[in-house]
Amino acid sequence: MNMVFQINGRDVGIEVSDSELLLDTLRHIGFSSVREGCGVGACGSCTVLVDGKSVSSCLVLTSRCNGSSILTSEGLADDDPVVSQFIKNGAAQCGYCIPGFVMMVSELLSENPIPTEQEIYNHLEGNICRCGSYPEIVQAAMDASKAKQTSKLTC
Amino acid sequence: MRPNVFRPQSLQEACSLLEEHEEALVYGGGTALQILLKQGILVGSSFIDISGIPGLAEISFTDDFLRVGPMVTLRRMERSEEIRELFSLASSAYAKVANPRVRNTATVGGNIAHGDYRLDPPVALLVLGASVELTSRNSIRKVPLEEFFVDFQVTDISAGEIVTAVEIPRSIHIVGSSFVKLSSLSANDWPSASAAVGLMENDNGVHTLRLALGALAATPVMATVDIRNLNLDQTLEASLSKAMELMDPIADVRGSVKYKLRLGRVAVEEAIRSAWKEVPNGR
Ligand SMILES: Cc1cc2nc3c(=O)[nH]c(=O)nc-3n(C[C@H](O)[C@H](O)[C@H](O)COP(=O)(O)OP(=O)(O)OC[C@H]3O[C@@H](n4cnc5c(N)ncnc54)[C@H](O)[C@@H]3O)c2cc1C
Ligand code: FES
Ligand code: FES
Repeated sequence: MNMVFQINGRDVGIEVSDSELLLDTLRHIGFSSVREGCGVGACGSCTVLVDGKSVSSCLVLTSRCNGSSILTSEGLADDDPVVSQFIKNGAAQCGYCIPGFVMMVSELLSENPIPTEQEIYNHLEGNICRCGSYPEIVQAAMDASKAKQTSKLTC
Repeated sequence: MRPNVFRPQSLQEACSLLEEHEEALVYGGGTALQILLKQGILVGSSFIDISGIPGLAEISFTDDFLRVGPMVTLRRMERSEEIRELFSLASSAYAKVANPRVRNTATVGGNIAHGDYRLDPPVALLVLGASVELTSRNSIRKVPLEEFFVDFQVTDISAGEIVTAVEIPRSIHIVGSSFVKLSSLSANDWPSASAAVGLMENDNGVHTLRLALGALAATPVMATVDIRNLNLDQTLEASLSKAMELMDPIADVRGSVKYKLRLGRVAVEEAIRSAWKEVPNGR
């Protein structure tokens, strides 16, 4: 079918087959931050936001996203507080899992701007980092929450 | 063969398609179906994508029921303020499924229709006395959840039927409840054992304990225990002996039969103790 959706704020019109998954569509278009790990919804490396909500793109039919707005980590600004705090905290080793974590933290902070450490764990528990960068990732999430609060105050 | 996807715009059209194409499967969130496709268990099926049908993603309250449309996501059940307030047992069980991404995609209808014996939400829904509305081209019927799970991976859904709602009655007066899920691999994995408990009260105090178990038999199972005049220890004893009758676990990678029986007892005890704490003024 022919469909139109927005990716990172730009309208994209494509033709997709009925069985195509969002992960494959996005990678074919060039969004290589969206990565396959487990392929069954259990690791989070393929996370993107569809209309602001996190999904495992390895389980979502592209055709379902007709008219939706998709955000991948390429769509975040260079000075995005979440990205900045991941960099500041050195929250990455090989980096494979990181775009997925960044998107999950972005979703969490938009729903719950000042999460507790436990709430961060709960939200991220379905994301897997093979390198074990968890302490830095959780710290980055906490610091991003603080940075967002501060920037709100100074605006 | 690649799957063929139909996109009906009305319930009537979906029911007709389902009758015409006997092999076709309803496509909810697709989180279970996509995995079955990837595993090669589902081959060449057609899908009927019901996401374009207006009205199927609504949560509404009547005087008698909470009515949840089949396309409501699990995450909405977890986060809805009203549901958290009125049926916290339901929101806490929906919140335990997989991870936020799966819960943002999976639907209430697909979850119940999946019929897996380990699913978390049905355990809470059994305690809450929920029922499932099934619609086909010529009929609408309501099945109490206790009769819905027929056997291992088999539900009461007949050919041609679509889950069109899950309803929770407002009449069952539960004053304390708890859902406990115990997993052996990782916290957000499928459970090795789960238990939901609801304590029912009338003017004479708490009289009945509703108990449901997940992952501990071929289907989710449920029983009620008369606990009039029983203290906590007596309630635990009566409920654990009822639970032992219900449990008939299946050994798998998440534990042996013996291990699951043990975890089952722990889940029941934990759920009862925590539900008990919620009862106002103790007993
Ligand atoms: C990584 C991962 C971990 C998981 N862990 C857990 C867990 O810990 N606990 C737990 O409870 N669950 C777990 N699940 C399972 C999850 O709950 C189910 O995959 C999900 O609820 C299915 O919902 P869906 O809408 O995606 O269903 P679909 O995949 O769309 O459909 C599932 C089945 O229901 C049928 N169906 C769908 N909608 C309807 C309808 N309206 N009427 C009739 N039939 C219908 C389909 O034909 C199919 O047979 C996990 C899943 C994943 C991917
Ligand atoms: S690749 Fe999608 S969740 Fe692992
Ligand atoms: S940084 Fe290597 S997998 Fe997470």
